[in-house]
Amino acid sequence: MAARGRGALARWAAVGLLVAALVALPSVVAALPADDADVPAAGLRDAVLASADVGFSGYAVSAGGLALPVSDRLTDVADLFSDRTLMRVWWRGPEDSRVDVVTAAGETGVHRDPGGTWTWDFEAATATRGAPAALALPTPPDLLPAALGRRLLSEATDDELARAGARRVAGRDALGLRLTPADAASSVGRVDVWVDPASGLPLQVEVFAEAADRPALDTRFLDLDLAVPPADVVAFTPPPDATVLPAPDTEELIAQAEERAPDVRLPGELAGLPRRTFEGVPDAVGMYGRGVTLLAAAPVPGRLAGGLREALTASPDAVTDELGTRVAAGPLGLMLVTPPDGPAYVLTGTVTLDALADAARRLPGAVS
Amino acid sequence: MIGVELRKLFGRPRTWVTIAVLNALPVLVAVLLQLTDLAPRPGEGPPFLSAVLTNGALFPLAALAIVLPLFLPIAVAVVAGDAVAGEAQAGTLRYLLARPAGRTRLLVAKLVAVIAFVLVTVLVVAGVGYVVGTTLFDAQPVGGGTSVSGTSLSQQELAGRSLMAIGYVTVSMLGVAAFGLFFSTLTDSPLAAALGALAVLVTSSLLFTLDAASPIAPYLPTRYWLAFVDLFRDPILWRDVVRGLALQGVYVGVLLAAAWANFTTKDVTS
Repeated sequence: MAARGRGALARWAAVGLLVAALVALPSVVAALPADDADVPAAGLRDAVLASADVGFSGYAVSAGGLALPVSDRLTDVADLFSDRTLMRVWWRGPEDSRVDVVTAAGETGVHRDPGGTWTWDFEAATATRGAPAALALPTPPDLLPAALGRRLLSEATDDELARAGARRVAGRDALGLRLTPADAASSVGRVDVWVDPASGLPLQVEVFAEAADRPALDTRFLDLDLAVPPADVVAFTPPPDATVLPAPDTEELIAQAEERAPDVRLPGELAGLPRRTFEGVPDAVGMYGRGVTLLAAAPVPGRLAGGLREALTASPDAVTDELGTRVAAGPLGLMLVTPPDGPAYVLTGTVTLDALADAARRLPGAVS
Repeated sequence: MIGVELRKLFGRPRTWVTIAVLNALPVLVAVLLQLTDLAPRPGEGPPFLSAVLTNGALFPLAALAIVLPLFLPIAVAVVAGDAVAGEAQAGTLRYLLARPAGRTRLLVAKLVAVIAFVLVTVLVVAGVGYVVGTTLFDAQPVGGGTSVSGTSLSQQELAGRSLMAIGYVTVSMLGVAAFGLFFSTLTDSPLAAALGALAVLVTSSLLFTLDAASPIAPYLPTRYWLAFVDLFRDPILWRDVVRGLALQGVYVGVLLAAAWANFTTKDVTS
């Protein structure tokens, strides 16, 4: 009996050891240290900005914690910033790429060529052809670490940048580059970009709201292959049984919106941020700021303002006073300004709620 | 001993009744789909079900996706839970072990029988799905069909990938079978063993939907079940398929080791 008890003990001990080894394995692999290299912050930024032509393929995940208080018409954009988005990417260059958003039961692939984009939706069996547009709503390809990292670092000055160690991302050593915006109005605490030193490709981008410990947006590669993918994987021909659709004419929509927008003269500076212009942005919309601190201001027709007010006040964090209603989703602020006389305005951007209130006071017709 | 176990399992009428019941749901879905012509809206319903209306040859995959989340694991848990505990409850375990074959071999033979049941069940569901799909819906005679990524798949490619999917779904059920078999060595009640395996599955499915459980999500037994859809992307997305196979391998290895540690020294009184 005693021998049998010892035998059982030995067997259970062996099983216990096996389980312990298997449970510990992922933590041991995750704890492998990354090699740091002595690359200055400005040099790393220059490498990132020069990486648009680096060919690669990979698998990336973006996780957002931003509950955007937007209406039903923008659910795709809201999902993009509040959900986990899994993306497969094949990149031959800025005008020759394919990004598939992978879901459990289907996928949506965006194939870009010099003439525009094909968007394939498996579950709806539709292929949509879109023309290149200077102004468009955010889409999943914009959230790829490589694309987002280049965009966020594109206007960073040397004194806003610092090095931030190294970590392993997608099985590679990635060097940390920390961007801390200099503008007082900024609601972005910092942006950490983790860069592959050999290619300059950002492998992970984390955007932190001010005084936040967890990123409001975290996008990173899970797998990465630094080889130019074959052209036939990137190209797209609509399958014979698919419905082919033309994309909505965004330029026409923007022109119509501009016609309907109330005619006002926006100030040259809001919340301490100077006004600037972007290609494709209509004159009725004022853009202010630089780098990751941006503010947009636009007058809106009364009917649109009503719907927006409803959406904003539904948020438990909304602040309503004589200036209007404002709410923050992570680093993103949104405000509906309702002056006693004159048109309503929408203010939105990566600025603090105080900066939004300050900007609201300076709008034509607003309560000062 | 394996042959004996296989003959015993497939000689029972209830095994075939279970397989028949498993096929009833996909057939019902196909008939309703054919009568109403109402495909699930994008983002809703099981994978491939919307695509079936234009290509009936995809119905085997839709049928697998229909039974995969609940029906198939229940059937596997019941058969695996019955493996050892059923013999104990019937009072036949003592006689089985009186043979010189040894307890470890009996355990392996039971596992092989359960695996054979899973394979036969999945093949029958896919086969019935193919017959029902091509009878009730249009099958694309030229070429195989369209991949999830929108590229064309030849008939051979579609058939090859369907076979891989059948294999993958079979392997995905091995974790459930291993849980059932392990619990079956702990108790003399087949029902308790099957319910134990189902409790693990329900817990795993529930945790998988919870954001707070995301750190442990990659280790949940049901995590990679739907990855068979990745076999129909172009190029094939192997990442989750490989992880799914490895995870099932780990569960089977650990649970079989635990079943062995428990069963070889257990006092068998019934």
